[in-house]
Amino acid sequence: MKRSYVGVIGLLIILGLNIVFTQLLVHQFFYENYEAVLLYMGINILLFPVAIFIYKKEKNKGGAGKNGK
Amino acid sequence: MTDRNNKIPFDEDNYTHNITKNNERQLDRRGFMKTLAGAAGVFAVASLPWGAIAAKELMGLADKEYPHQKIVDLKDIAVGDSIGFHFPSDHDSAVLVRLTDNKFVAYQNACTHLRCPVYWVKEEETMICPCHHGKFDVNTGAPTAGPPRRPLPEIIIEVHDHAVYAVRVKRYEA
Repeated sequence: MKRSYVGVIGLLIILGLNIVFTQLLVHQFFYENYEAVLLYMGINILLFPVAIFIYKKEKNKGGAGKNGK
Repeated sequence: MTDRNNKIPFDEDNYTHNITKNNERQLDRRGFMKTLAGAAGVFAVASLPWGAIAAKELMGLADKEYPHQKIVDLKDIAVGDSIGFHFPSDHDSAVLVRLTDNKFVAYQNACTHLRCPVYWVKEEETMICPCHHGKFDVNTGAPTAGPPRRPLPEIIIEVHDHAVYAVRVKRYEA
């Protein structure tokens, strides 16, 4: 069984970006830069469909499973 | 025959010998990816309320109108001078600065670091918080030096009938 870790790595990158942008969002909210808050919120929301896309694309990659599928 | 119930019929790797669900607690590659995608969804939903409040502030819905309050007569404040007052309530100290003949600015002068009073220093043409040497730009209220990172709330003023009036408190606009 050959595994493909492209999806896993991609999703981990997305998770990292999510954490970074959420931290920035909270900071900019505190500093009352509300345009930046809206920007980071938009990025965070856009990352979700990207993550779903990567999951759908990669979930069956990596060759046959245990049942020979 | 008597030992029949004391024997383990086959090798098992658990201690209870009666749970036989295969891989029940194993997190495989696909399950892990599913968790990560779900986490992205949680982050997306969690950032919504912050954005909603930010949008509300930007659209000015959080601006409140207060009863107009006379601060000072025009003849009593020279160009470059400042005067302290309280707005909107008696507990919100504020400072009015006359920059030119016609230009006035006013801010609530509690420093956005630890709420020390911020003063207008004429010689340096900046607003200074003496506690930790925070400085604010007098034209916008934006912090320019020291610990404060948030701007001073600006007070909108009107000049009419030879006097200066405080109208409302404005949120910061970058």
